[in-house]
Amino acid sequence: MAPAIVVPAMSEQERRPETDGRDFADAAWSVPSYLLSGILVWGGLGWLLSWWTGVHAFIPIGVILGVGLAAYLVYLKYGR
Amino acid sequence: MTLPLMLVAEDFTAPGPSIFDFPPLWDGAPSWLTKPVLMAIFGAIVVCALAWSAFANPKLVPRGMQNIGEMGYQFVRDQVARPFLGKDAERWMPLLLSLFFLILLWNLFGVVPLIQIPVASHIAFPAVLAALIYIIKIYLGIKHQGFVGYFKNMMFPAGLPKPIYVLLAPIEFLSNLIIAPFTHAVRLFANMFAGHLILAFFSAVGFWFLFEKLTPLGSGLGVLGVIMTIAMTGFEMFIEFLQAFLFTMLAAMYIGGSLHPDH
Repeated sequence: MAPAIVVPAMSEQERRPETDGRDFADAAWSVPSYLLSGILVWGGLGWLLSWWTGVHAFIPIGVILGVGLAAYLVYLKYGR
Repeated sequence: MTLPLMLVAEDFTAPGPSIFDFPPLWDGAPSWLTKPVLMAIFGAIVVCALAWSAFANPKLVPRGMQNIGEMGYQFVRDQVARPFLGKDAERWMPLLLSLFFLILLWNLFGVVPLIQIPVASHIAFPAVLAALIYIIKIYLGIKHQGFVGYFKNMMFPAGLPKPIYVLLAPIEFLSNLIIAPFTHAVRLFANMFAGHLILAFFSAVGFWFLFEKLTPLGSGLGVLGVIMTIAMTGFEMFIEFLQAFLFTMLAAMYIGGSLHPDH
């Protein structure tokens, strides 16, 4: 009896090679844009608050919050 | 010992942003008709001519120009279009192929003797191209996902508690609609601008210290300038190719993202 020829099932990656690089490149090119946006939105808000209240500490708080939120957003979209 | 060198060095002025300013082509020409504009048009004509000679009369067994054209087509299709557009890649190839070759040619003009100006070092050119891609991106997004759907998919990634959206939606909005098209254009512009400035600087050093003010001490610096000019020209050619590739890749990425919101 001849041995059966075993054809291995295609892995998910082999089946759709054309979308392989997409997520990685998406993430790689979106990260700087998200970080910059986070700093601008929340740092900008902090700047407004410091302008209104006179408490300068709001600027660094806003910038750090923005970076943190942007990093969290990248994790949500590409890291999960 | 360093005194003669210092004296010479004081006379040397490094080329600045003024090397990007060109007068109108001839006296009485409209003020916008400058060398970069002429080269932009020339580049577009060359791309049309190359595409015509390669694809107008295709043979089953490609020869000559068709061979080169098909190599370029395959490169853009396999490296740029398919990873981001999947089965829609072929439909977008005319845009992506012309975009890639136009930008590549515009960039390579930076190291072609006598031309020696990368067209994209004037921000208007990459800005128009990026604006074109931006309009296509938003049009496709609204067409394929609906007006509300497009902005909802963009700004509100699914499955998060509502208060989080207040924190994240402004970042998504700014990133996708303002920062992304801006960096798309600026990345190409800044690379070409800086690269051209570096080449101009090193060739000016070589020219100054070897021809204008040849001194025993300065000649070493002049030789270094010439060597660096040659090395940086090679490096520039690599950057010019890379930036044409990246600009087209990001265009494909934005178009793909509008067609299939899968995040």
